[in-house]
Amino acid sequence: MIDPNLGSVVASPTPAGVGSNEVDGAGRPLVEVDRLKVYFPITEGLVFERHIGDVQAVDGVTFSLRRGETLGLVGESGCGKSTTGRAIIRLYKPTEGSISFDGVDLTTLSGDQLRRMRRRMQMIFQDPYASLNPRMTAGGIIGEPLEIHGIGSGGERRERVRELLATVGLNPDFGERYPHEFSGGQRQRIGVARALALNPDLIVADEPISALDVSIQAQIINLLERLQGQFDLTYLFIAHDLSVVRHISDRIAVMYLGRIVELAPSRDLNTRPLHPYTVALLSAIPIPDPAIESRRRRIILKGDVPSPAAPPEGCRFHTRCWLREKLGNPERCVTEDPALRLIETGHEAACHFAEDVAGSVEQQQVVGRPASRPRSSTPVASPGDGAAAGDPAAVQQIPTA
Amino acid sequence: MTATAPVPAAVAAPARRRPPDNRLLSVEDLVVRFRTHEGAVHAVNGVSFELERGEALGLVGESGCGKSVTNLAIMRLLPKPAGRIEGGRVVFDGIDLVTLSEADMRDLRGKEIAMIFQDPMTSLNPVLTIEEQMVETIRAHRKASRAEARKRAIELLVMVGIPRPETRLKSYPHQFSGGMRQRVMIAMALALEPKLMIADEPTTALDVTIQAQVLELLRDLAEDRDTSLILITHDLGVVAGMTQRISVMYAGYIVETATTAELFENPSHPYTVGLLHSIPRLDEERAEALLPIEGTPPDQRRAPRGCPFAPRCAWRLEECWTDNPPLAPIDGSGRVITTGPDATHRIACHNPPTAEEAIAGRPLREGFVAAPPPDAVIQELVTRGAEEEPALLDEVVLMGPEGPESTAPSAGGLPIEPDDKP
Repeated sequence: MIDPNLGSVVASPTPAGVGSNEVDGAGRPLVEVDRLKVYFPITEGLVFERHIGDVQAVDGVTFSLRRGETLGLVGESGCGKSTTGRAIIRLYKPTEGSISFDGVDLTTLSGDQLRRMRRRMQMIFQDPYASLNPRMTAGGIIGEPLEIHGIGSGGERRERVRELLATVGLNPDFGERYPHEFSGGQRQRIGVARALALNPDLIVADEPISALDVSIQAQIINLLERLQGQFDLTYLFIAHDLSVVRHISDRIAVMYLGRIVELAPSRDLNTRPLHPYTVALLSAIPIPDPAIESRRRRIILKGDVPSPAAPPEGCRFHTRCWLREKLGNPERCVTEDPALRLIETGHEAACHFAEDVAGSVEQQQVVGRPASRPRSSTPVASPGDGAAAGDPAAVQQIPTA
Repeated sequence: MTATAPVPAAVAAPARRRPPDNRLLSVEDLVVRFRTHEGAVHAVNGVSFELERGEALGLVGESGCGKSVTNLAIMRLLPKPAGRIEGGRVVFDGIDLVTLSEADMRDLRGKEIAMIFQDPMTSLNPVLTIEEQMVETIRAHRKASRAEARKRAIELLVMVGIPRPETRLKSYPHQFSGGMRQRVMIAMALALEPKLMIADEPTTALDVTIQAQVLELLRDLAEDRDTSLILITHDLGVVAGMTQRISVMYAGYIVETATTAELFENPSHPYTVGLLHSIPRLDEERAEALLPIEGTPPDQRRAPRGCPFAPRCAWRLEECWTDNPPLAPIDGSGRVITTGPDATHRIACHNPPTAEEAIAGRPLREGFVAAPPPDAVIQELVTRGAEEEPALLDEVVLMGPEGPESTAPSAGGLPIEPDDKP
């Protein structure tokens, strides 16, 4: 399954401006991911396992992470966002491509060297109920990384654990307690404290708040934001919820079926989305304001995400694309796989017709933004009325509640 | 037995005393408790609401607030023997459901009230095809031949937008994707044309683009057939576009209820205000600081005392610790309309935030500090915690005396240090 076009994984330089996102004088990015592929083999037969295909979980992803920034990675289940995050931490071995961390290619490391690099990158998991060992005390869980890496004496470690507990806003005496004695939000704080134990540079947070109740989510988001400033952390923030990702990230990469389809500064992504998938994704997110909901246009995508074991030819999104339909089903979408290309400053999209998204009714209506943000619910006549040039079946007006 | 003795309910059809107005459901002072070996869990503590025909009501709250339990109680599907309706009435279309016999209740479920659950995989039978399950449901309630029932099943699958329904009928639940499975669930819920549909987090397990598909389907179907809908969710965004009225629940109480437009325009309970400030909005111009609700919901193994939100509330007064305010109109008038587009905006709060404070997310009155718990309350919490009821020390810590949980600005009213981050 090796792409013949990629003779060597020793990276030939990426096309200028694409993926690397113009390193703005701040030196080398902390992480550079280049044409990363992670395939999971599908086998058949019990004794003689025949390799009959691959789940192409991540299929050629290129991006970089600057020091101190937060990159959000969003997409729906199965788009490869978690696999990407885990490959960076080297919990999965990449099939192809390179991941360089502070200039060192992680894909070639193993054993001791890898363990030493891993000190500098940590992970926060989604489910604080499943990711903490129920038989260990909170203090034991938080201190374990120190023990594994042989840092400090017993007394020093205990002191560090108390310090970490205080840092994440827990009572330092809680170290003696077991995970079941904590609430969900408190458990996630323990997960954060553990990730901080080794003073890492990079934290990969994989859906860190989606298992938590709404009122608790904001506590953890604020905690992560405070810690980033305090410890100069770089975050890869993986989540399916674009409104949360937009809140915490400096830049956002949107993934669909193993590819990054759009990469943009987060302030641009919801005002000027340039990939039809991003437009649909944004339009599908409910906004807690009935006045806005009533004047938004929602793009309802048809069908489900195709299987990553047999992704569609050409553009992977073409089977569900509203823009393709609107443009009269151009042949190019089916035959030619669009590459991520720079369309506006710092804003990349992988769509042949991204220029047609810019300025479209669909793009403008995506968050139902009025002239100024209203606190009143005075219904505003939809500016989209009568301008619905798109396919009326695919683009529908949300009726007033 | 005298001639005026009522006919036993098991013999005759349940007596319906239809209310004169358009009311379909009325829940009055519902109390549900779970008996566990650690004592009673106070899941629902006196919830009242009403629903008109064709109306869509959102029940919003976090896990454990009682929104699902309320509806399981309406359906009489509380887990047995632990869960019990310990008080109140549920009147559906003139019938009191609490006292209805199990046989009559079974007849009513599906036919008059249908439920759509969060995870369709656990509510569909994995070893039966969709056809078997749908035909069985239809024939259990209607006099229909197998062929007629099958025809109806196909109609229903077409209605919920499942392609190639004839062949899909032969599929098993695992052969459908999550969104398609939820469509099958909706088709089955609609099979008997119920008067009321209860959807309990119907899209929480789905991806957001699939959620949009399913919500749209649900809304269109409910509107077309004038079916009443109770939509249970934790997501304020979902109810904003789907419902006419919303009740916000916290710790087994309704703390605020209003029409959807009014609730978002003028949120008036500190908990609702806190919820709206703790979620980032997709349409905000730039990232605004989130104001979390500090602390955690109360442990419901403890008998409720005072306002349940008081330990986390920025606006609390001393009386909030001991006296739970009833649900009352925000304008102080005595007239209450419980349903429809003119429903009265009611909250259960002694000291509601003003409009400016609701926007700011914190009290703006000069010198106002959320009242600390009176000594008597602390004393009681600590000593009672040591005995049969769970320890409350954690919650007391969150209230302030031992230091705040976070240094972020807070809608929780905790005595916090100013944020050191610029």
